[in-house]
Amino acid sequence: MIAVQFRLYRDIQESVPVQRVQRLMAEVQAARKERDQLQERVATLRAELDAATAQTGLQPLKKRLDRYQIEAGIVPVRGPGVEVILEDSNVALQPGQNPNLYVIHDEDILRVLNELRVAGAEVLAVNNERVLAGTEVRCIGPSILVNTKRLAAPFRITAIGDPDNLESALKMRGGVVDTLQQFWGIRVSIKKMDQLTIPAFKGSQEFTYARPYLEEK
Amino acid sequence: MIQRHFSIALVGLILGLLLVLQFRTANQQEPAVPGDRAHELTVELKALTTERAGLESVARDLEGKLARARLGYVQAEETIKAQIREAAVLAGMTRVAGPGVRVIITSRTGATPPGAIFAVRDEDLLKLVNELRAAEAEALSINGQRLISTSAIRLAGSHINVNLQRITPPYEILAIGDPIALRNSLEIKGGLVETMRDWGMDVTIETQNRIVIPPFKRPLVYDYTEPVAEASH
Repeated sequence: MIAVQFRLYRDIQESVPVQRVQRLMAEVQAARKERDQLQERVATLRAELDAATAQTGLQPLKKRLDRYQIEAGIVPVRGPGVEVILEDSNVALQPGQNPNLYVIHDEDILRVLNELRVAGAEVLAVNNERVLAGTEVRCIGPSILVNTKRLAAPFRITAIGDPDNLESALKMRGGVVDTLQQFWGIRVSIKKMDQLTIPAFKGSQEFTYARPYLEEK
Repeated sequence: MIQRHFSIALVGLILGLLLVLQFRTANQQEPAVPGDRAHELTVELKALTTERAGLESVARDLEGKLARARLGYVQAEETIKAQIREAAVLAGMTRVAGPGVRVIITSRTGATPPGAIFAVRDEDLLKLVNELRAAEAEALSINGQRLISTSAIRLAGSHINVNLQRITPPYEILAIGDPIALRNSLEIKGGLVETMRDWGMDVTIETQNRIVIPPFKRPLVYDYTEPVAEASH
Protein backbone atom coordinates (compact mmCIF):
# COMPACT_ATOMS: atom_id res chain seq x y z
CA MET A 1 0.00 0.00 0.00
CA ILE A 2 2.82 2.32 0.82
CA ALA A 3 4.32 1.49 -2.53
CA VAL A 4 1.08 2.33 -4.31
CA GLN A 5 0.83 5.53 -2.36
CA PHE A 6 4.32 6.50 -3.31
CA ARG A 7 3.75 5.79 -6.98
CA LEU A 8 0.49 7.64 -7.05
CA TYR A 9 2.11 10.66 -5.49
CA ARG A 10 4.94 10.54 -7.97
CA ASP A 11 2.45 10.19 -10.80
CA ILE A 12 0.73 13.36 -9.79
CA GLN A 13 3.98 15.21 -9.53
CA GLU A 14 5.19 14.01 -12.85
CA SER A 15 2.07 13.92 -14.96
CA VAL A 16 2.51 16.26 -17.85
CA PRO A 17 -0.70 18.28 -17.41
CA VAL A 18 0.10 19.07 -13.79
CA GLN A 19 3.65 19.96 -14.63
CA ARG A 20 2.39 22.17 -17.35
CA VAL A 21 0.05 23.97 -14.99
CA GLN A 22 2.78 24.40 -12.42
CA ARG A 23 5.14 25.78 -15.00
CA LEU A 24 2.53 28.18 -16.35
CA MET A 25 1.63 29.26 -12.85
CA ALA A 26 5.24 30.18 -12.15
CA GLU A 27 5.40 32.12 -15.39
CA VAL A 28 2.19 33.97 -14.65
CA GLN A 29 3.46 34.88 -11.22
CA ALA A 30 6.70 36.20 -12.62
CA ALA A 31 4.86 38.18 -15.30
CA ARG A 32 2.52 39.65 -12.69
CA LYS A 33 5.42 40.76 -10.58
CA GLU A 34 7.10 42.42 -13.53
CA ARG A 35 3.83 44.10 -14.48
CA ASP A 36 3.41 45.46 -10.96
CA GLN A 37 6.94 46.80 -10.96
CA LEU A 38 6.35 48.51 -14.29
CA GLN A 39 3.13 50.01 -12.99
CA GLU A 40 4.98 51.44 -10.05
CA ARG A 41 7.68 52.78 -12.34
CA VAL A 42 5.08 54.50 -14.54
CA ALA A 43 3.44 56.02 -11.45
CA THR A 44 6.79 57.31 -10.22
CA LEU A 45 7.62 58.78 -13.62
CA ARG A 46 4.25 60.53 -13.71
CA ALA A 47 4.86 62.02 -10.27
CA GLU A 48 8.31 63.20 -11.35
CA LEU A 49 6.93 64.70 -14.52
CA ASP A 50 4.27 66.39 -12.46
CA ALA A 51 6.97 67.90 -10.25
CA ALA A 52 9.08 68.93 -13.25
CA THR A 53 6.19 70.91 -14.72
CA ALA A 54 5.09 72.62 -11.54
CA GLN A 55 5.98 76.17 -12.64
CA THR A 56 3.24 78.62 -11.71
CA GLY A 57 2.67 79.86 -15.26
CA LEU A 58 1.70 76.36 -16.30
CA GLN A 59 -1.08 75.92 -13.76
CA PRO A 60 -4.02 76.62 -16.13
CA LEU A 61 -2.69 74.04 -18.57
CA LYS A 62 -2.21 71.56 -15.76
CA LYS A 63 -5.78 72.03 -14.56
CA ARG A 64 -6.94 71.05 -18.02
CA LEU A 65 -4.57 68.11 -18.14
CA ASP A 66 -5.91 66.95 -14.76
CA ARG A 67 -9.47 66.89 -16.03
CA TYR A 68 -8.57 64.92 -19.13
CA GLN A 69 -6.44 62.52 -17.16
CA ILE A 70 -9.24 61.89 -14.69
CA GLU A 71 -11.68 61.06 -17.48
CA ALA A 72 -9.12 58.89 -19.25
CA GLY A 73 -8.43 57.01 -16.01
CA ILE A 74 -4.73 57.82 -16.11
CA VAL A 75 -4.52 59.07 -12.52
CA PRO A 76 -5.98 57.66 -9.29
CA VAL A 77 -8.62 59.88 -7.70
CA ARG A 78 -10.37 60.47 -4.41
CA GLY A 79 -13.46 62.18 -3.15
CA PRO A 80 -16.75 61.62 -1.34
CA GLY A 81 -19.37 59.28 -2.77
CA VAL A 82 -21.11 55.98 -2.23
CA GLU A 83 -20.15 52.35 -1.99
CA VAL A 84 -22.66 49.81 -3.26
CA ILE A 85 -22.21 46.14 -2.47
CA LEU A 86 -24.15 43.54 -4.44
CA GLU A 87 -24.36 39.96 -3.24
CA ASP A 88 -26.11 36.97 -4.75
CA SER A 89 -29.50 36.10 -3.37
CA ASN A 90 -29.76 33.82 -0.35
CA VAL A 91 -33.38 32.96 -1.07
CA ALA A 92 -33.97 29.22 -0.73
CA LEU A 93 -34.92 28.00 -4.19
CA GLN A 94 -38.04 25.94 -4.77
CA PRO A 95 -37.45 22.90 -6.94
CA GLY A 96 -37.85 23.86 -10.58
CA GLN A 97 -36.92 27.49 -10.08
CA ASN A 98 -34.14 28.78 -12.27
CA PRO A 99 -31.18 29.59 -10.00
CA ASN A 100 -29.82 31.81 -12.75
CA LEU A 101 -32.47 34.40 -12.00
CA TYR A 102 -31.23 34.87 -8.46
CA VAL A 103 -27.57 35.63 -9.08
CA ILE A 104 -26.11 38.95 -10.10
CA HIS A 105 -25.93 39.51 -13.84
CA ASP A 106 -23.85 41.88 -15.90
CA GLU A 107 -27.10 43.69 -16.63
CA ASP A 108 -27.66 44.47 -12.94
CA ILE A 109 -24.24 46.03 -12.59
CA LEU A 110 -24.74 47.96 -15.83
CA ARG A 111 -27.98 49.37 -14.53
CA VAL A 112 -26.57 50.36 -11.16
CA LEU A 113 -23.70 52.11 -12.95
CA ASN A 114 -26.12 53.84 -15.30
CA GLU A 115 -28.25 55.02 -12.39
CA LEU A 116 -25.20 56.42 -10.62
CA ARG A 117 -24.24 58.25 -13.82
CA VAL A 118 -27.69 59.81 -14.03
CA ALA A 119 -27.21 61.02 -10.44
CA GLY A 120 -23.99 62.77 -11.45
CA ALA A 121 -21.28 60.28 -10.54
CA GLU A 122 -17.92 61.70 -11.62
CA VAL A 123 -15.76 58.59 -11.41
CA LEU A 124 -16.85 54.94 -11.12
CA ALA A 125 -15.25 51.60 -10.36
CA VAL A 126 -16.30 47.96 -9.93
CA ASN A 127 -14.16 45.97 -7.49
CA ASN A 128 -11.52 48.67 -7.94
CA GLU A 129 -11.49 48.32 -11.72
CA ARG A 130 -11.83 51.86 -13.02
CA VAL A 131 -14.82 52.30 -15.33
CA LEU A 132 -13.78 54.05 -18.55
CA ALA A 133 -15.62 55.03 -21.73
CA GLY A 134 -14.81 51.62 -23.19
CA THR A 135 -15.36 49.47 -20.12
CA GLU A 136 -17.55 46.41 -20.61
CA VAL A 137 -19.37 44.39 -17.93
CA ARG A 138 -20.02 40.83 -19.02
CA CYS A 139 -20.99 37.52 -17.47
CA ILE A 140 -18.52 34.73 -18.11
CA GLY A 141 -19.75 31.65 -16.26
CA PRO A 142 -19.94 32.48 -12.58
CA SER A 143 -17.66 35.50 -12.80
CA ILE A 144 -18.02 38.90 -14.38
CA LEU A 145 -15.56 40.45 -16.77
CA VAL A 146 -14.73 44.14 -16.34
CA ASN A 147 -11.89 45.67 -18.34
CA THR A 148 -11.21 42.06 -19.39
CA LYS A 149 -10.45 41.23 -15.73
CA ARG A 150 -12.41 38.44 -14.07
CA LEU A 151 -14.24 39.58 -10.95
CA ALA A 152 -16.26 37.46 -8.53
CA ALA A 153 -19.16 38.31 -6.20
CA PRO A 154 -19.62 40.20 -3.96
CA PHE A 155 -19.36 43.18 -6.29
CA ARG A 156 -18.34 46.50 -4.84
CA ILE A 157 -19.29 49.48 -6.95
CA THR A 158 -17.73 52.77 -5.92
CA ALA A 159 -18.79 56.16 -7.24
CA ILE A 160 -17.42 59.62 -6.49
CA GLY A 161 -19.98 62.42 -6.48
CA ASP A 162 -22.57 64.01 -4.21
CA PRO A 163 -23.21 61.19 -1.69
CA ASP A 164 -26.83 62.24 -1.01
CA ASN A 165 -27.75 62.43 -4.70
CA LEU A 166 -26.10 59.15 -5.50
CA GLU A 167 -27.75 57.38 -2.59
CA SER A 168 -31.25 58.69 -3.23
CA ALA A 169 -31.04 57.87 -6.94
CA LEU A 170 -30.42 54.25 -6.05
CA LYS A 171 -32.94 54.10 -3.24
CA MET A 172 -35.73 55.58 -5.34
CA ARG A 173 -38.97 53.57 -5.03
CA GLY A 174 -39.36 51.30 -8.00
CA GLY A 175 -35.74 52.01 -8.90
CA VAL A 176 -32.98 49.60 -9.77
CA VAL A 177 -32.20 48.54 -6.23
CA ASP A 178 -35.83 48.00 -5.39
CA THR A 179 -36.23 45.67 -8.35
CA LEU A 180 -33.08 43.73 -7.54
CA GLN A 181 -34.09 43.22 -3.92
CA GLN A 182 -37.79 42.53 -4.29
CA PHE A 183 -37.83 40.36 -7.36
CA TRP A 184 -34.57 38.53 -7.20
CA GLY A 185 -33.60 38.76 -3.55
CA ILE A 186 -30.19 40.14 -4.45
CA ARG A 187 -28.63 41.68 -1.37
CA VAL A 188 -27.72 45.31 -1.87
CA SER A 189 -26.08 47.58 0.66
CA ILE A 190 -25.47 51.25 0.02
CA LYS A 191 -23.10 53.26 2.16
CA LYS A 192 -22.31 56.97 1.91
CA MET A 193 -18.59 57.64 2.16
CA ASP A 194 -16.74 60.83 3.11
CA GLN A 195 -13.66 59.72 1.30
CA LEU A 196 -13.21 57.12 -1.42
CA THR A 197 -10.15 56.31 -3.43
CA ILE A 198 -10.43 54.89 -6.92
CA PRO A 199 -7.27 53.58 -8.56
CA ALA A 200 -6.11 54.46 -12.06
CA PHE A 201 -6.94 52.16 -14.96
CA LYS A 202 -4.50 49.30 -14.64
CA GLY A 203 -3.69 48.51 -18.24
CA SER A 204 -2.14 50.68 -20.86
CA GLN A 205 -4.41 52.38 -23.32
CA GLU A 206 -3.67 52.85 -26.91
CA PHE A 207 -6.04 53.12 -29.82
CA THR A 208 -5.41 50.77 -32.71
CA TYR A 209 -8.25 51.90 -34.96
CA ALA A 210 -9.36 55.36 -33.84
CA ARG A 211 -7.22 58.23 -35.08
CA PRO A 212 -7.59 61.96 -34.51
CA TYR A 213 -9.92 63.23 -37.19
CA LEU A 214 -8.26 64.85 -40.18
CA GLU A 215 -10.19 66.62 -42.87
CA GLU A 216 -10.14 64.51 -46.04
CA LYS A 217 -9.03 66.29 -49.12
CA MET B 1 -4.72 -10.41 25.80
CA ILE B 2 -4.87 -6.66 26.15
CA GLN B 3 -1.62 -6.44 24.29
CA ARG B 4 -2.99 -8.41 21.37
CA HIS B 5 -6.04 -6.17 21.16
CA PHE B 6 -3.78 -3.21 21.28
CA SER B 7 -1.60 -4.35 18.41
CA ILE B 8 -4.64 -5.17 16.29
CA ALA B 9 -5.99 -1.72 16.99
CA LEU B 10 -2.64 -0.19 16.08
CA VAL B 11 -2.45 -2.09 12.81
CA GLY B 12 -6.04 -1.11 12.08
CA LEU B 13 -5.26 2.53 12.78
CA ILE B 14 -2.25 2.59 10.49
CA LEU B 15 -4.14 0.80 7.74
CA GLY B 16 -6.99 3.24 8.08
CA LEU B 17 -4.71 6.25 7.92
CA LEU B 18 -2.97 4.89 4.86
CA LEU B 19 -6.27 4.22 3.16
CA VAL B 20 -7.50 7.73 3.81
CA LEU B 21 -4.25 9.21 2.58
CA GLN B 22 -4.41 7.04 -0.49
CA PHE B 23 -7.94 8.08 -1.28
CA ARG B 24 -7.14 11.71 -0.82
CA THR B 25 -4.14 11.57 -3.07
CA ALA B 26 -6.09 9.71 -5.70
CA ASN B 27 -8.86 12.29 -5.47
CA GLN B 28 -6.44 15.13 -5.93
CA GLN B 29 -6.10 14.15 -9.52
CA GLU B 30 -9.77 14.72 -10.21
CA PRO B 31 -10.37 18.41 -9.63
CA ALA B 32 -7.21 19.47 -11.40
CA VAL B 33 -8.95 19.47 -14.84
CA PRO B 34 -5.52 20.26 -16.19
CA GLY B 35 -6.37 21.14 -19.78
CA ASP B 36 -8.75 23.83 -18.69
CA ARG B 37 -6.42 25.43 -16.17
CA ALA B 38 -3.50 25.39 -18.51
CA HIS B 39 -5.68 27.12 -21.05
CA GLU B 40 -6.80 29.75 -18.60
CA LEU B 41 -3.29 30.43 -17.40
CA THR B 42 -2.06 30.77 -20.95
CA VAL B 43 -4.75 33.35 -21.66
CA GLU B 44 -3.72 35.27 -18.57
CA LEU B 45 -0.07 35.06 -19.48
CA LYS B 46 -0.79 36.45 -22.90
CA ALA B 47 -2.79 39.33 -21.44
CA LEU B 48 0.03 40.09 -19.02
CA THR B 49 2.56 40.12 -21.82
CA THR B 50 0.60 42.69 -23.82
CA GLU B 51 -0.01 44.74 -20.71
CA ARG B 52 3.68 44.71 -19.94
CA ALA B 53 4.62 45.77 -23.44
CA GLY B 54 2.12 48.62 -23.21
CA LEU B 55 3.47 49.77 -19.87
CA GLU B 56 7.02 49.62 -21.15
CA SER B 57 6.21 51.93 -24.02
CA VAL B 58 4.38 54.29 -21.65
CA ALA B 59 7.41 54.32 -19.36
CA ARG B 60 9.77 55.06 -22.27
CA ASP B 61 7.51 57.85 -23.45
CA LEU B 62 7.36 59.36 -19.97
CA GLU B 63 11.14 59.18 -19.61
CA GLY B 64 11.51 61.16 -22.82
CA LYS B 65 8.98 63.73 -21.68
CA LEU B 66 10.59 64.02 -18.28
CA ALA B 67 14.01 64.63 -19.80
CA ARG B 68 12.59 67.38 -22.02
CA ALA B 69 10.50 68.98 -19.31
CA ARG B 70 13.58 69.38 -17.15
CA LEU B 71 15.34 71.47 -19.79
CA GLY B 72 13.36 74.62 -19.04
CA TYR B 73 10.08 76.45 -18.94
CA VAL B 74 9.39 76.37 -22.67
CA GLN B 75 10.08 72.66 -22.87
CA ALA B 76 7.94 72.01 -19.80
CA GLU B 77 5.07 73.87 -21.44
CA GLU B 78 5.49 71.86 -24.63
CA THR B 79 5.49 68.64 -22.64
CA ILE B 80 2.23 69.49 -20.90
CA LYS B 81 0.66 70.39 -24.20
CA ALA B 82 1.71 67.06 -25.65
CA GLN B 83 0.24 65.29 -22.62
CA ILE B 84 -3.00 67.22 -23.03
CA ARG B 85 -3.24 66.24 -26.68
CA GLU B 86 -2.81 62.56 -25.84
CA ALA B 87 -5.12 62.55 -22.82
CA ALA B 88 -7.77 64.46 -24.79
CA VAL B 89 -7.99 61.64 -27.35
CA LEU B 90 -8.42 58.98 -24.64
CA ALA B 91 -10.89 61.14 -22.74
CA GLY B 92 -13.15 61.49 -25.78
CA MET B 93 -12.60 65.23 -26.10
CA THR B 94 -11.50 65.11 -29.74
CA ARG B 95 -13.17 64.09 -32.98
CA VAL B 96 -11.84 60.72 -34.10
CA ALA B 97 -12.04 58.68 -37.29
CA GLY B 98 -11.42 55.06 -38.11
CA PRO B 99 -13.00 51.84 -39.35
CA GLY B 100 -15.99 50.46 -37.50
CA VAL B 101 -19.71 49.83 -37.60
CA ARG B 102 -22.88 51.86 -37.90
CA VAL B 103 -25.92 50.38 -36.18
CA ILE B 104 -29.41 51.69 -36.81
CA ILE B 105 -32.27 50.69 -34.55
CA THR B 106 -35.94 51.48 -35.13
CA SER B 107 -39.15 50.18 -33.67
CA ARG B 108 -41.11 48.70 -36.53
CA THR B 109 -44.31 50.71 -36.71
CA GLY B 110 -47.52 48.75 -36.90
CA ALA B 111 -45.93 45.34 -36.96
CA THR B 112 -44.80 45.61 -33.33
CA PRO B 113 -46.46 42.70 -31.54
CA PRO B 114 -47.76 43.92 -28.20
CA GLY B 115 -47.22 47.64 -28.70
CA ALA B 116 -45.08 49.91 -26.61
CA ILE B 117 -43.65 47.23 -24.32
CA PHE B 118 -41.33 46.19 -27.10
CA ALA B 119 -40.40 49.64 -28.35
CA VAL B 120 -36.69 50.46 -28.09
CA ARG B 121 -35.83 51.13 -24.47
CA ASP B 122 -32.84 52.65 -22.72
CA GLU B 123 -31.64 49.26 -21.56
CA ASP B 124 -31.60 47.91 -25.11
CA LEU B 125 -29.21 50.68 -26.11
CA LEU B 126 -27.23 50.19 -22.90
CA LYS B 127 -26.76 46.51 -23.69
CA LEU B 128 -25.89 47.10 -27.34
CA VAL B 129 -23.23 49.56 -26.30
CA ASN B 130 -21.94 47.09 -23.74
CA GLU B 131 -21.59 44.40 -26.41
CA LEU B 132 -19.64 46.80 -28.61
CA ARG B 133 -17.40 47.70 -25.66
CA ALA B 134 -16.77 44.01 -25.02
CA ALA B 135 -15.69 43.75 -28.67
CA GLU B 136 -13.15 46.48 -27.90
CA ALA B 137 -14.80 49.47 -29.47
CA GLU B 138 -12.46 52.43 -29.03
CA ALA B 139 -14.95 55.25 -29.50
CA LEU B 140 -18.75 55.23 -29.39
CA SER B 141 -21.58 57.64 -30.01
CA ILE B 142 -25.37 57.50 -30.01
CA ASN B 143 -27.14 60.00 -32.26
CA GLY B 144 -24.11 62.26 -32.21
CA GLN B 145 -23.56 62.06 -28.45
CA ARG B 146 -20.07 60.79 -27.67
CA LEU B 147 -20.09 58.21 -24.90
CA ILE B 148 -17.57 58.80 -22.13
CA SER B 149 -17.16 56.99 -18.82
CA THR B 150 -19.96 58.95 -17.16
CA SER B 151 -22.47 59.04 -20.03
CA ALA B 152 -25.87 57.82 -18.87
CA ILE B 153 -28.41 56.34 -21.29
CA ARG B 154 -31.75 56.75 -19.64
CA LEU B 155 -35.42 56.90 -20.27
CA ALA B 156 -36.83 60.24 -19.12
CA GLY B 157 -40.54 60.38 -19.71
CA SER B 158 -41.10 58.99 -23.18
CA HIS B 159 -37.67 59.87 -24.50
CA ILE B 160 -34.21 58.51 -24.12
CA ASN B 161 -31.57 60.89 -22.83
CA VAL B 162 -27.89 60.45 -23.58
CA ASN B 163 -25.50 62.85 -21.86
CA LEU B 164 -28.68 64.56 -20.60
CA GLN B 165 -29.61 65.39 -24.21
CA ARG B 166 -32.85 64.07 -25.60
CA ILE B 167 -32.42 61.79 -28.60
CA THR B 168 -35.18 60.55 -30.89
CA PRO B 169 -35.54 57.46 -33.09
CA PRO B 170 -34.13 56.17 -35.34
CA TYR B 171 -31.22 55.49 -33.03
CA GLU B 172 -27.80 55.47 -34.63
CA ILE B 173 -24.87 53.96 -32.79
CA LEU B 174 -21.40 54.54 -34.23
CA ALA B 175 -18.43 52.50 -33.03
CA ILE B 176 -14.78 52.60 -34.08
CA GLY B 177 -12.80 49.38 -33.78
CA ASP B 178 -12.26 46.13 -35.65
CA PRO B 179 -15.35 46.19 -37.93
CA ILE B 180 -15.68 42.42 -38.21
CA ALA B 181 -15.32 41.82 -34.47
CA LEU B 182 -17.80 44.58 -33.72
CA ARG B 183 -20.35 43.23 -36.16
CA ASN B 184 -19.92 39.64 -35.02
CA SER B 185 -20.38 40.60 -31.39
CA LEU B 186 -23.85 41.86 -32.23
CA GLU B 187 -24.89 39.30 -34.80
CA ILE B 188 -23.89 36.23 -32.83
CA LYS B 189 -26.60 33.57 -33.01
CA GLY B 190 -28.98 33.80 -30.09
CA GLY B 191 -27.44 37.14 -29.21
CA LEU B 192 -28.88 40.48 -28.32
CA VAL B 193 -29.69 41.67 -31.83
CA GLU B 194 -31.54 38.47 -32.66
CA THR B 195 -33.71 38.96 -29.58
CA MET B 196 -34.35 42.59 -30.46
CA ARG B 197 -35.41 41.56 -33.96
CA ASP B 198 -37.76 38.97 -32.46
CA TRP B 199 -39.28 41.78 -30.45
CA GLY B 200 -40.06 43.62 -33.66
CA MET B 201 -37.20 46.09 -33.80
CA ASP B 202 -35.35 46.74 -37.01
CA VAL B 203 -31.62 46.55 -36.44
CA THR B 204 -29.22 47.10 -39.31
CA ILE B 205 -25.48 46.79 -38.93
CA GLU B 206 -23.09 48.15 -41.56
CA THR B 207 -19.32 47.83 -41.44
CA GLN B 208 -17.55 50.92 -42.75
CA ASN B 209 -13.99 51.83 -43.58
CA ARG B 210 -14.25 55.25 -42.10
CA ILE B 211 -16.49 56.39 -39.34
CA VAL B 212 -16.24 59.82 -37.77
CA ILE B 213 -17.24 60.22 -34.14
CA PRO B 214 -17.70 63.69 -32.61
CA PRO B 215 -16.09 64.79 -29.34
CA PHE B 216 -17.89 65.01 -26.01
CA LYS B 217 -19.42 68.44 -26.22
CA ARG B 218 -19.92 69.50 -22.61
CA PRO B 219 -17.11 70.53 -20.28
CA LEU B 220 -15.79 67.92 -17.88
CA VAL B 221 -16.73 69.12 -14.41
CA TYR B 222 -15.32 67.63 -11.25
CA ASP B 223 -16.88 69.12 -8.15
CA TYR B 224 -16.10 66.18 -5.90
CA THR B 225 -13.16 64.40 -7.51
CA GLU B 226 -9.52 65.30 -7.09
CA PRO B 227 -6.52 63.51 -8.51
CA VAL B 228 -4.37 61.69 -5.97
CA ALA B 229 -0.74 62.66 -6.21
CA GLU B 230 1.09 59.38 -6.45
CA ALA B 231 3.71 59.04 -3.79
CA SER B 232 7.07 58.52 -5.40
CA HIS B 233 8.71 56.23 -2.95
